[in-house]
Amino acid sequence: MKTIETEVPEQLYKKAKALVQEGWFRDEKDVFSEAIRRFLTTHQSELMEKFVRDDIEWGLHGND
Amino acid sequence: MIKVITKAVCDAGPIIHLDELNCLDLLTDFQEIVVPRMVCEEIRRYRPSALKGHDVSFTILDQHIFPDEPLLAICRIFSLDRGEIEALTLMKKNPQAMFLTDDASARLVAEEMGFRVHGTIGILIRSVRRGQREPEEVDRILSEIPLKSTLYIKHLLLKEIKSKIKKEFDL
Repeated sequence: MKTIETEVPEQLYKKAKALVQEGWFRDEKDVFSEAIRRFLTTHQSELMEKFVRDDIEWGLHGND
Repeated sequence: MIKVITKAVCDAGPIIHLDELNCLDLLTDFQEIVVPRMVCEEIRRYRPSALKGHDVSFTILDQHIFPDEPLLAICRIFSLDRGEIEALTLMKKNPQAMFLTDDASARLVAEEMGFRVHGTIGILIRSVRRGQREPEEVDRILSEIPLKSTLYIKHLLLKEIKSKIKKEFDL
């Protein structure tokens, strides 16, 4: 496991804390790990590149 | 050139990024640009100038719109923000519209829902085809993205886009 230190907006922290207090997560670390994991799942480099390439094709040869 | 008969629902990204690049006028080519309330609030927070002081006319919704349960569930799984959720809710009601976003997750969900989706890069390149910009101008604007804009794009990919533009238009 890698330890990182970062700043998060107060509101974001409060929401993470609330999830822990409600019993959905063990602690705030788990909330942020899960959030990052989900972000990385949907922001894979290949996927973002595909979207850009689709845009190039549409930009150059689309019909709308 | 005659405007395309396409209504566009816009997320915050393209409006902010096009404004940063002084290219917001490219959106005037669409029949109507609809901005959900929450998206408008995001833009006002991060780039208030994007919504005023130019000739682009946005249709800003005056009320928040709420998704149905299945859409909300999908949006939550993909951690979409409230602006993106409102935009997708609007798209569900106007499936013939085009969704403009630079967010990969929102785009992924929208494409899976069968919507036409494009982003800032597409709109910039399209401007040559639509006679709104010269190819040389677009090449210059693309070079300015890392300097002037908060649109993050891999350096090598940007280089590749510029090469394609140069090749396509014999620059």
